[in-house]
Amino acid sequence: MEFLVNLLGALFPYDWLEPLFMRRALIGLLLIAPTCASMGVQVVNFRMAFFSDAISHSAFTGVALGLILGIHPQLSMILFGVLIGCGVLLLARKAEMSTDTIIGVFFAAVVALGIVIVSARSGLVRYFEGVLFGDILAISNSDLWVMLGLCTLVALFQWIGFNRLLLLSMNQPLAHSRGIKTTLWELGFGLLLALLVMISLRVVGLLLVTALLVVPAAAARNLARSAGALFWWAITLAGASSLGGLYLSFHWGSATGASVILVGVGFFVASFGYKLMGRRG
Amino acid sequence: MSQAAITLQDVSVTLGGQIILDRMNATVERGALTAVMGPNGAGKTTLLHAILGLIPYSGRILFGSSEKRPRLGFVPQRLDLDRGSPVTVRDFLSLALTQRPLWAGIGRQTDKDIRDVLEQVSVGAVLRSPLGKLSGGETQRVLLAQALLNQPQILLLDEPASSVDLAGEALFCDLLEQIQKQLDITTLLVSHDLAVITTHARYVICLKHGIVCSGPAGDTLTPENLKKLFGPHINLYTHSHSHPLPTD
Repeated sequence: MEFLVNLLGALFPYDWLEPLFMRRALIGLLLIAPTCASMGVQVVNFRMAFFSDAISHSAFTGVALGLILGIHPQLSMILFGVLIGCGVLLLARKAEMSTDTIIGVFFAAVVALGIVIVSARSGLVRYFEGVLFGDILAISNSDLWVMLGLCTLVALFQWIGFNRLLLLSMNQPLAHSRGIKTTLWELGFGLLLALLVMISLRVVGLLLVTALLVVPAAAARNLARSAGALFWWAITLAGASSLGGLYLSFHWGSATGASVILVGVGFFVASFGYKLMGRRG
Repeated sequence: MSQAAITLQDVSVTLGGQIILDRMNATVERGALTAVMGPNGAGKTTLLHAILGLIPYSGRILFGSSEKRPRLGFVPQRLDLDRGSPVTVRDFLSLALTQRPLWAGIGRQTDKDIRDVLEQVSVGAVLRSPLGKLSGGETQRVLLAQALLNQPQILLLDEPASSVDLAGEALFCDLLEQIQKQLDITTLLVSHDLAVITTHARYVICLKHGIVCSGPAGDTLTPENLKKLFGPHINLYTHSHSHPLPTD
């Protein structure tokens, strides 16, 4: 990974890419943002933005539990998020209630539990800034390896599952009639999404991680004219947002994650304008 | 009488503690169009889902003499897709033909097969149209096309014309009957539209949580059976231009 970081510096000798941490941040962003955007295509299809919000907000509690139980907070945060994802998905299948309601209950539970733990142990508060806002500038080479592993896993998942999940999002009985194991794919997607959300917290923090999933996919919808183009537009816009956001944050001295999201929202507004003009034309 | 393509033996379905189908016995004749009819909530869609293996049931469902499912083509009522979705008819139909993800491109042979099947259902012009922007009638034809791409031995249709007007429904059913005869596919059509059933179905299964009556359409659709099925306020009027009802 060190080789890649050095290569980036040699190929693009710009002042803003001179610091080592900026080059690591760019590689991290270019790994995670397009990965999130590709999964965001299905998040939009399945209307699961609220699900990813609930998972990201469980990070608070996951970190707090890790600190209390003596487990590495990063690990406890990821495990707790995946556990909450499992809980939501399994209960949504069993309870005769809308998925939104189930997610709402889990959302309330994890946030309330986090607040109770943090308020009872005031010394824990200092750990939460990174969880809230993310800290992409502080990532290490080992973080980049984790991100690369996740990116590869999602790419493999999208190769095998893209068509299946698309059909599943349109009509479950039809997907089943084509031999797609609908339960397995729904659960698999939910769990991978939970894992991705927890690892992506490092980039933009829990308040904005859902935007990393949804904004590029929403902008891509305004531009794409087929399902394949939707996928590539989402990935391209996520990559461009990462590059633009990191560059602007360097010059403005602003938070990197939030800058990346703002550039993404800019792309959404522009793409929406383009779509409106297309309708008039 | 021809051989049965589907035989239901004491099939029961209970969902959420409620009995939806109760010890149902029936046969679906091979190579014919059989209609499943009944009032709302009678268990028509549940029956299709049991045949598809989508929900648990007790009893046996035989396909010929085996419980192994043959290739089934399924036409749902509608797709859950918003109007802004960029998924095109070409994308949707390629899902039936290839495992390669859509983002990796659609091959030439797949493209040709899609064009052919769209011509077969008379909507060749919608190839690159977004699915969410099709009319009700076009959507139903595209849904029929995706079922045919699978080269099914049995075609299952769940109220396929529920979202189109009467003229569109008549056109769709004419097309369905024509394809069914051309390809000699066993077809099971769920509908509560008596006009559709009397015009196109050779056999009927009347359902109200279990079988009320079944057999050739002409013998089965009697005023007594219809009253048992739908209540006292139902009557069957045969128009002069309708086909005569088939009998044994």
